[in-house]
Amino acid sequence: MMATKFESQLSLSRPYLTRLELQEAQNNTVSDVRTYLQRKNVIFGFLSELCVHFQFPRKTLETAMYYYQRYYIFNKFESELCHTVATSCLLLSCKQVETFKKANELCIMSFKLRNMNNYKQDAIESFKKRLFQIELSILETCGFDYRINSRVHIDEYIVKLGKALKLNHDICYLAWIIAYDAIRLNILLIVPQHAIALGILKITCELLGKNDMKNMNNFNEFKTEIDSVNEAYFAIVNYYINAFDNCSLKDNLPTHILPSVNLDSFIELKKNAGNDRGLKELGEQIRKSDKYLTTARDFTQIERRYVLLPQFISDEKTALGEKRFKL
Amino acid sequence: MSDKIVSEYTKEKKVGEGTYAVVYLGTKQSTGRKIAIKEIKTSEFKDGLDMSAIREVKYLQEINHINVIELVDIFMAYNNLNLVLEYLPTDLEVVIKDQNILFTPADIKSWMLMTLRGVYHCHRNFILHRDLKPNNLLISPDGQIKVADFGLARAIPAPYDVLTSNVVTRWYRAPELLLGAKHYTSAVDVWSLGIIFAELMLRIPYLPGQNDVDQIDVTFRALGTPTDKDWPGVSKFSTYTQLQTYPPPSRDELRKRFIAASENALDLMSGMLTMNPQKRWTTIQCLQSEYFTELPPPSDPSTIKLNKD
Repeated sequence: MMATKFESQLSLSRPYLTRLELQEAQNNTVSDVRTYLQRKNVIFGFLSELCVHFQFPRKTLETAMYYYQRYYIFNKFESELCHTVATSCLLLSCKQVETFKKANELCIMSFKLRNMNNYKQDAIESFKKRLFQIELSILETCGFDYRINSRVHIDEYIVKLGKALKLNHDICYLAWIIAYDAIRLNILLIVPQHAIALGILKITCELLGKNDMKNMNNFNEFKTEIDSVNEAYFAIVNYYINAFDNCSLKDNLPTHILPSVNLDSFIELKKNAGNDRGLKELGEQIRKSDKYLTTARDFTQIERRYVLLPQFISDEKTALGEKRFKL
Repeated sequence: MSDKIVSEYTKEKKVGEGTYAVVYLGTKQSTGRKIAIKEIKTSEFKDGLDMSAIREVKYLQEINHINVIELVDIFMAYNNLNLVLEYLPTDLEVVIKDQNILFTPADIKSWMLMTLRGVYHCHRNFILHRDLKPNNLLISPDGQIKVADFGLARAIPAPYDVLTSNVVTRWYRAPELLLGAKHYTSAVDVWSLGIIFAELMLRIPYLPGQNDVDQIDVTFRALGTPTDKDWPGVSKFSTYTQLQTYPPPSRDELRKRFIAASENALDLMSGMLTMNPQKRWTTIQCLQSEYFTELPPPSDPSTIKLNKD
């Protein structure tokens, strides 16, 4: 059988984008940021309820939240479809972190939590079909990059890094509670999970007045750097400043460790952080000319290839000869 | 970034079909390299994308070793997921079964060495294969063994993780799995390798149980029923009380069964087939076995003839 000749799209995975890069990409997909964020809050509540019902570990929820946010970087946001996308994210997340659950059970619970109790099996079947289509789209928006959400998750990193840094149980426990708020943020799309865990531990040490991580500027030992840790640190501090009333920390504060915490606690942290900032952004011109961000994804392209390493692309360019490539 | 090029992969011939995928032979256009394309049947599963496909991509992306199959590329075409794998024309099961192919103890040593290197690489990267058998040990045109089919693989579990014991093809299943263990380690892969080693020496399957219950009987009849003495706590498995008690084979019995095996070969096999998973040899211990340093040296893989001439 001879092959059909057609054009092919080759994409290099970029699992993390800076804050401004995310905004640039979402210019194509999110027309009303406020609606998107409001829906995200509702959807994350819904996902949390599903996870509680099925007694999934936190890593399942964290991975589903990553998928949900990643999906809407490259796919048009339509508020009516959010629950379907979220259920699909959870289905895929269950497979990714080995907490498998049958699609049927997820669908039924997804219906029930939305008070859709008078459903017929036909409705479940068509919902499932939609889930399966979205499942593949989610993987495509992740570039089939399984390096992310593959092994250790934020709460597990808190324990591991807490041990490595010889932080006491109270610090780690409070950090573990803060991490539950952190997984809702788009910082998941910006820096890796171990950098987020370090950012959380830094916040916790400061909230408790401990100096364990003070003046810690070199994170080479943990395969990250200060800018990534600070990016996470500020993302979380800003979240508490902007949305303290909705956070889970307020309702689950272990008062035997930290008697009280309020908005001012985080404003104080930010004030004391001085000139420290997060990741450095590239110039606007570079961002505007980055086709990965500015061009809407063409999922109608027949052959869409996904690679993880730039080397793969340069090798192929060499093999093909530059003239056959056109940008 | 995103580049447009002419279609890169051709599907030239269908060579196999499994429960979740169809395999084609093809060519990578830019290099002319022969490749295998696994087209995942996405629409036919009631739970969406099959776990096997997810596991295969997840773990093969992480591993780059001469004795593990290479995942060359991933692409979507006509809304189907395609995995591009290196082309490997045969496997160890075909070689064992084909009575026209003659192989020597040095060839067996070479195959075991390559397989152990591949599996060691998985284990040092915290990956359990969980389905090692001759059929999943593919052979490249230059004679290299490649561990393949990571559809059942998973990360080495954390101490509190509960796992399914329904893994590994029956004949290659370790005793802890046969007894229904909910937690196990990379030792299950080493057991499978021990059985494969025995099969290579005998040229017939070593412990071919007819069904799961028979497998327990066949395994313990050949290698002895484990006791609390050499495997503390084994009697706590709920199925233990139903077991027939068989004595372990003496060294002489093993020598008679594996006539051509050297003492070091028997040591290695016994190490891999130790009942107690905690005492079972690790892949490091296996690779350090004197079997690999004694004569004859392992054959150069490229010189092992697999043609029927």
